[in-house]
Amino acid sequence: MKEYLKGNYTLEVTIKEPTVEIDQTEAFEKKALSRLGGSICFVSKKGFLWKGDGADGHRTEDRQPA
Amino acid sequence: MDIGRKIASRLKDATFERIAATALANADANRPRIRASILELAGRAFGEGDAAIVIAAGPSLHRRQSLERLKQSGFRGTVVAVDGALGACLRAGVVPHVVVTADPHAERIVRWFGDPTLTAPSTDDYFRRQEMDPQHARDEVGANRHLVELVNRHGPQLTVAIATSASPAVVNRCESAGMALYWWNPMFDDYDRPDSVSRRIHRANGLPCLNGGGNVGTAAWVVTHALLEKRRIGLLGMDFSYPPGTPLTGTQYYPELRELLGERFAEGYISLSNPFLGETWFTDPAYYWFRDVFLEMAQDAECETVNCTEGGILHGERVPMVALDEFLAKVARP
Repeated sequence: MKEYLKGNYTLEVTIKEPTVEIDQTEAFEKKALSRLGGSICFVSKKGFLWKGDGADGHRTEDRQPA
Repeated sequence: MDIGRKIASRLKDATFERIAATALANADANRPRIRASILELAGRAFGEGDAAIVIAAGPSLHRRQSLERLKQSGFRGTVVAVDGALGACLRAGVVPHVVVTADPHAERIVRWFGDPTLTAPSTDDYFRRQEMDPQHARDEVGANRHLVELVNRHGPQLTVAIATSASPAVVNRCESAGMALYWWNPMFDDYDRPDSVSRRIHRANGLPCLNGGGNVGTAAWVVTHALLEKRRIGLLGMDFSYPPGTPLTGTQYYPELRELLGERFAEGYISLSNPFLGETWFTDPAYYWFRDVFLEMAQDAECETVNCTEGGILHGERVPMVALDEFLAKVARP
């Protein structure tokens, strides 16, 4: 703000620089999210087991029998 | 909405961020070791009939002596257990037909199978602090040694439904104990998206992708009904929460909540009533999310699921709480 206040006059009020208010709760949540969570993903509305759509083929030719 | 529920509502995306890189790296490392797909288990006769018990590793497993009661009942259906419950199962004389493992953690998960390399208490206090298997809290090294012996003895009897995300250490341990491994990919995201990670990993190894519901317990339930086609399923040890009086230091995410929320850490926990016991249990955001996801998935499952945990917070219209003995008596009838 100061760079714009270079007139040849004197203000009668004090101009305060704006401060950034950090939402502490939001910050906590963001940090927590990076550490919390599950061990496997969940995908909504995509069924339980996806076997491929046939166009993908099966990359099984290099497997040895169990 | 309180902070615990707010966090829980955002854990779907956070889980992908948390595990995807490690899980994909493990899948890449494991690829040369894949011999069989989990699809080969479909149609196999594990136990009799269409009833199954899915065993997770929550504290009620010990509080209710669920495994001892299951053993005494002579249950003849299918038994599917998560990796964290394997030790308790074997100690109780319950040998699961299928063990499910998925978590990509590099050091911790192998301990559920007994780690032959452990000779002194770990610097990681997870196993002394966790609520899932109190044996490890009492005597970490001794419990591990006993588990190594048990798993070595029963390994050749065990079938493992193992995710490609599993740590190579877990693969080594399972193979060395003589277990039969059947592989699946975790579903990471919407496979219909052109840039889908799920589709990419499927193209790489040809394995099916299983929607795991956030945790291995839910994944075990999915294996049981969607793959093994069991139609009457009882859940054990599926607490997703902590009994009244559990010290917060003994909860799964205590260090993270303490570090990240500081003095407000207790606000991260959520209290819920258990109508079966008339008690109020509490949970953390991750477990609360697991519960919500399970109840959502149960809406679409082609099976009857009852929660025989006799504790915890998992209950809903499609997942009623039922006493274990009642479920066992019901499925024993022709």
